[in-house]
Amino acid sequence: MAKKKGQVRQIWRRLKKNRLSMFGLITLIIIVLAAIFADFIAPYPYDLQNYSVAKQFPSLEHPFGTDNYGRDIFSRVIYGTRVSLQIGFISLTAGALIGTIFGTVSGYFGGRTDTVIMRFTDILMSIPKVVLAIAIASTLGPGLVNAMIAVAISSIPNFARVARASTLTVRDQEYIEAARAIGAGNFRIIFRHILPNILAPIIVQATLGVGISIILAASLSFLGLGVEPPTPEWGAMLSAARTFIRDEWYMVLFPGLAIMLTVLALNLLGDGLRDALDPKLKT
Amino acid sequence: MNDKNNPLLSVRNLTIHYITDDGLVKAVNDISFDLEKGKTLGLVGETGAGKTTAAFGIMNLVPDPPGKIISGEILINGKDILKLKKNESKKYRGKVASMILQDPMTALNPIITVGEQIAEVCRLHDKLSKADAYIKAAQMLELVGIPSDRIDEYPHQFSGGMKQRVVIAIALACNPQLLIADEPTTALDVTIQAQVLSLIGDLIKKYETSMILITHDLGVVTEICDKVAIMYAGQIVETGDLEAVYEHTKHPYTKGLFGSLPSLSAKAHRLNPIYGSMPDPTNLPNGCAFHPRCPNKMPACENRAPTNTELESGHFVRCLLYE
Repeated sequence: MAKKKGQVRQIWRRLKKNRLSMFGLITLIIIVLAAIFADFIAPYPYDLQNYSVAKQFPSLEHPFGTDNYGRDIFSRVIYGTRVSLQIGFISLTAGALIGTIFGTVSGYFGGRTDTVIMRFTDILMSIPKVVLAIAIASTLGPGLVNAMIAVAISSIPNFARVARASTLTVRDQEYIEAARAIGAGNFRIIFRHILPNILAPIIVQATLGVGISIILAASLSFLGLGVEPPTPEWGAMLSAARTFIRDEWYMVLFPGLAIMLTVLALNLLGDGLRDALDPKLKT
Repeated sequence: MNDKNNPLLSVRNLTIHYITDDGLVKAVNDISFDLEKGKTLGLVGETGAGKTTAAFGIMNLVPDPPGKIISGEILINGKDILKLKKNESKKYRGKVASMILQDPMTALNPIITVGEQIAEVCRLHDKLSKADAYIKAAQMLELVGIPSDRIDEYPHQFSGGMKQRVVIAIALACNPQLLIADEPTTALDVTIQAQVLSLIGDLIKKYETSMILITHDLGVVTEICDKVAIMYAGQIVETGDLEAVYEHTKHPYTKGLFGSLPSLSAKAHRLNPIYGSMPDPTNLPNGCAFHPRCPNKMPACENRAPTNTELESGHFVRCLLYE
């Protein structure tokens, strides 16, 4: 067991060397903390309307200004973190799980199973992600859970592809044959011998995918198909503020910045992880 | 002749073909042999002679598709393993028959500790608890000459010879009755080869395991085998006790094999190879598969395939010269 920790430590050491991904990691930690402690950080409740201070320029009292209902944008951005991260992580985890299982099964068994699953993911992939998500979300109707389902489904094909490709390289390794020769069944081979071996590319795909999912969720909300008001969601905030962009630009700026910063942090971390997990760069 | 009646393993007329887009590959054609308990059979042949396919057949592991067992029986203790159901054959592999693969570098899962990999067999077949299997794994490691405090290390921390020892430990962990060693030493250097071979030899003697040793090294065969089977183009052309085949070599191909070995006593400037090369298994010659290369070729060889002929007890030759 001590050795296992050693491996993690080695990856950590390599990740630490990469300044940009450390920046991403720290930013991400701050964002996650902000989401957890939103109740303590945010100076106002996210749905407190106060028309006497509507559309105020950022000041000490309202660091990001206020929107057209007089709600504090800073508080809304902080609370919005919760929603965005929730959608991003939950929908991506679901999509990754389903996609990985499909991909692994498809790659491992090959033949007809492979054809059926892969043609199905091809169909999903041939539709642009956003369009697919819009189609699903508009069928299911707006709402947090439905947005998650839509984002999850549209992230399945990517994971299926990555998992299948990695499975194909691992499947013909001699140790899989050896596992079969000692009497291990298909289920055991897939979950014990193949999955752990293909985990690295999937982790990378997942880290990069969270960012995409967050953007996708924000796009859905922007179009009115995601989270319903008054729940603060960055995409929805952008959508509501876009009519005021000429005079009250700060109303669009801060939620937009929040999306950008989160996705950037995730992508930087993902890039770093890819390098750290790549055994070919091991030194 | 007594133990002949009750062999551990009895392969009867086994034929395995690969059905590929490029045609039918006749990898194993009608091979038959017996192996008694505690005895070792050396399966010798050139690359592509069908040795490994035959071994996979005995493990019931022929990749299907494209492989297909066309006909034949593989009896272990009188039971045909080709007729086993799927979950029965899972119990058979690793428990009754076990296999050592050619390349120890890739036969171990790189991300699981060697201890866990040995323990896995014990847990699958002997239904040991996790803790018991771990203890058993430590014992197996000691048995193959690796200090048991290295049990938590990963395969990449071992050298090639050590890895092959781990593979042997995995193969023998459940005390199988039959061990198939598929060129266990080809990937190792010569000194390690000798160590690994003597380790295998000692262990199978200790546990009275029968073994099929696949090799193309005739020297290795003399060291640990009791019986030899020479394979050519998917057929066993000559088989018998070690002495019979080595001292009273009959088949022209076997003679050619021995003739191509350099000798310490006789001075030779050049080796004496067997001329020509293995026939294309998708397109085997008519008659005897060896006739295009055979120095003793007769006109009949081109038309009629030889059958198995028993010259003396247990010494079979497949050649028209002796029919």
